[in-house]
Amino acid sequence: MNRAAVVSGLGTWLPPGVVTNDDLARELDTDDAWIRSRTGIGRRHIADPGTATSDLAVEAGRRALKSASVESVDAVILATTTPDQLCPATAPQVADRLGLGPVAAFDLSAVCTGFLYALGTAAGLIAARTAERVLVIGADTYSRILDPADRSTRAIFGDGAGAVVLRAGGAEEPGALGPLDLASDGGGAELIGIASGGSRSPFRADTLDRADPYFRMEGPTVFRQAVERMAHSTRTVVQRSGWQLPDVDVLVAHQANLRILHAVADQLHLERDRCAVHLDRVGNTAAASIPLALADAASSGLLRPGHRVVLTAFGGGLTWGACALRWPDVTAL
Amino acid sequence: MTVYDRLADLLARSFGLQRDEIEPDYTFAELELDSLALVELTLAAQDEFSVALSEDDLGAESTIAQAAKVIEAKVVEATAAA
Repeated sequence: MNRAAVVSGLGTWLPPGVVTNDDLARELDTDDAWIRSRTGIGRRHIADPGTATSDLAVEAGRRALKSASVESVDAVILATTTPDQLCPATAPQVADRLGLGPVAAFDLSAVCTGFLYALGTAAGLIAARTAERVLVIGADTYSRILDPADRSTRAIFGDGAGAVVLRAGGAEEPGALGPLDLASDGGGAELIGIASGGSRSPFRADTLDRADPYFRMEGPTVFRQAVERMAHSTRTVVQRSGWQLPDVDVLVAHQANLRILHAVADQLHLERDRCAVHLDRVGNTAAASIPLALADAASSGLLRPGHRVVLTAFGGGLTWGACALRWPDVTAL
Repeated sequence: MTVYDRLADLLARSFGLQRDEIEPDYTFAELELDSLALVELTLAAQDEFSVALSEDDLGAESTIAQAAKVIEAKVVEATAAA
């Protein structure tokens, strides 16, 4: 039996606070119709002050463990762009708060592709027999890094977390991660990111007046790349799976923008209604968007056990990727 | 069907325009296509005509007839190379 990493649990968490488009329109030059027509987003969840990414990650992680009916794992990987602080990593605190003991725990930084990179990393730990079971969490609190005056990013991003438990199993089992395609292009690093706060431009008293602490994104420039990269990665993993594109029952793409989701489907000649769409209610939740969209698609009935599903994402870095699998019989919590 | 007609059909289909609202000397800006819509049109036109198109090929200020000419030249080039 070929060893593989198998999805055995799925959990999600959204902070309770909701910000609607009308709420944004009260403080910014925007309105519900403008946001909906450009992004497809109607509202997003925003964490209360004092709530950090670890708080969301712990909630999603707890639910994923319960969904998998397990109390222990050998490793925790947290995909995030918004760790609790620059150093140390957030994952060890998450593991500790989940009562997982002295397990391997680290953060993974691949922006909106982080969850897919984390799946690939976890699958590697399992393949190498370093771990039998891994908790993979995507959690982000973008509300903390957005420019309060930037209507384009504030309309798009929301906070949230999602997690899966991967266990060692057989490649033929439902839920076994199939072919994974991961890629990057650092030549586009300036298109999505935060300029200040790192080693190139640290926050110090003498540089603070020139610092830009906010997340910036060249939306229109990355739109085309996002569509073409996700479509290409999807084709790659479909081909490596021995499937044909029409075999794909559900496409769970990073929830960046409804128009991107539709353009990806069009490029692949897939009906648009095969795309999981969750962003209308939660916005773009960065590393959390794929597990959140999976849970939503499973609860709506769009995604059912046995379905052929492709996960695909694109984000800062630039990074992108895709993964194919047959959906297992798991209950999302 | 000419490249112009196919492009006009694609525009109508993709952006909910009436086919008879579209005239050869209209620019994309006059049809109220914003920057995202031009990217969407570029991607859809690549698919429709099976040629590679850059952002500049379908610019906001080019007319639909001009864009059709650019696409037609690429189609001819691709056919000659094949």
